Amino acid sequence: MKIIRKVFDGLQPLFEDGGRLKTFKAVYEALDNFFFAPSARTPNAPHLRDPLDLKRYMSMVIVGLAPALLAALYLNGPRLLAMIIVSYMAGGAVEVAFAAIRKKEIHEGFLVTGLIFPMVLPGALPLWMVAVGVAFGVFVGKELFGGVGRNVFNPAIVARCFLALAYPRAMSGGYVAPGGPGRLLEWVGLDAVSGATPLGLAKQGTWMDVPLLDMFLGRIAGSAAETSTLAILIGGGFLLMTRVANWRTVAAVLGSATVMALMFCDSLTEVIWQLCAGGLMFGAFFMATDPVTSAATNLGKVIYGVIIGVVVMLIRNFTGYVEGVMFAILLGNIAAPVIDEILYKVRFRRLQIEG
Amino acid sequence: MADMKQPACVSCGGAGLCGGKALATLKDGSWTTNPLAVQMLGICSALAVTNRLENSLVMGAALIFVCVGSNLIVSLLRKAIPTRIRMIVEVAVIATFVIVFDQFLKAFYWDMSKQLGPYVGLIITNCIVMGRAEAFALQNPPLLSMIDGLANGIGYAVILAIIGFFRELLGAGEVMGFRLLSDGWYTPNQLMILAPGAFFALGIVIAIFNHFKGPDPEEKKQ
Repeated sequence: MKIIRKVFDGLQPLFEDGGRLKTFKAVYEALDNFFFAPSARTPNAPHLRDPLDLKRYMSMVIVGLAPALLAALYLNGPRLLAMIIVSYMAGGAVEVAFAAIRKKEIHEGFLVTGLIFPMVLPGALPLWMVAVGVAFGVFVGKELFGGVGRNVFNPAIVARCFLALAYPRAMSGGYVAPGGPGRLLEWVGLDAVSGATPLGLAKQGTWMDVPLLDMFLGRIAGSAAETSTLAILIGGGFLLMTRVANWRTVAAVLGSATVMALMFCDSLTEVIWQLCAGGLMFGAFFMATDPVTSAATNLGKVIYGVIIGVVVMLIRNFTGYVEGVMFAILLGNIAAPVIDEILYKVRFRRLQIEG
Repeated sequence: MADMKQPACVSCGGAGLCGGKALATLKDGSWTTNPLAVQMLGICSALAVTNRLENSLVMGAALIFVCVGSNLIVSLLRKAIPTRIRMIVEVAVIATFVIVFDQFLKAFYWDMSKQLGPYVGLIITNCIVMGRAEAFALQNPPLLSMIDGLANGIGYAVILAIIGFFRELLGAGEVMGFRLLSDGWYTPNQLMILAPGAFFALGIVIAIFNHFKGPDPEEKKQ
């Protein structure tokens, strides 16, 4: 560690005012913070007593994503790693450009966005589309709103939505048929056998053909990391236990989706099937719970979750779209600030009347 | 807006052609108070017809024609129009010009007319045309009003053309129907043809426009 510290101390003058690489000060600081805890203390109140700062918080999310990521690697092969690297590079470039122009630090939030985004893409998507998508997501979904903490929409979902609308054929045809351990060393290209997702089959009326166990373990076609419900439950459970993800949001999304499914389905098996299908689990645990874009109040989180759960089921069963988690979360994101606003006002009025 | 010390326009008997206000009016309408980028008027048509450059150009031409024509007539009638029914008179004048252009398209460019659909007819309700008639032509002499209509029309048409150019280029790989980006390596970005793409394109163009224009001088003072 001492050697790394020395390297950083040696490089520091280059990035300070007057140094040759001043423009890239943000990069230096981000790397410095990545290797060492930031030494700066908050100069004035509020001082948080929680040992979790933003970076540790984001690290927890990455730990929570790990099981789903490993399952995705097992099922999709090493191409996913390439997609993640491309996503980090392209999105990071946009992030660095904005940090340099605004003369601010790079935020750790991108560590999560850059990882989640390739995880919700079809496994055989061309790499340049990953780059275009993440650049658009970071630019429009986050930086135009003012950067981390000010974005209305989840950048990873903005990016995915952009790709789904811009390149519908590549997105719907890029799903990789599930593979076994042999996949670990196999590069899945565009020419790979593309598989129809269970929900896609359901649209054609043959939905019960996919066994429930396969749905639960993830031996189905789908976006890279969304298929294995088991892995998502392990990682998501970890996030719930560490309270990084709020249980109200997750419970509201899954609960309302279950209620909706009970109305449409004949048997309990079908209900569980619906819950395991598509991106519902992944969306509920990792994307709807994003602290920035979800509602802030406790009751607001429940309402926000219910909106997402209900809309997902409505889109799946009553529209031409195969899956609606993406649109549902975007709709929830739009509603979240309004829900909070209304709840604050109601609360405030009640306090006024009482006091 | 109107400086009273300046000599009046030749069309109303004063000295000098528009009293030197022509250039200022032209710059105001097309740049400083650009109807699309600064006043945010006429957004609806700007989003709807800009999926191809050709459509954008025709729409821009239509708006220039209607705006110049209606401004001229409203300005000529400005002393005869009773204040209480001025809006109705303005709409009647505007509608006349719109119908003339619409019929012209239908007679000679049927395909284009079909592509633009209802949007030519909807120029009647376009805030830019109505706004210029109401805010400018009613108070100013005919020649100056025509220049104002021309300036606003150009301000609208140029931005429409820019948006149309990029949407068609990125969305279909073509410009005016000619393939610029070949099939071999370019996958058309279908979002740019769809309505959401129009919002993004318009937003980015407006941002760049306002970056070059700089802040409003009136805002600067405050």
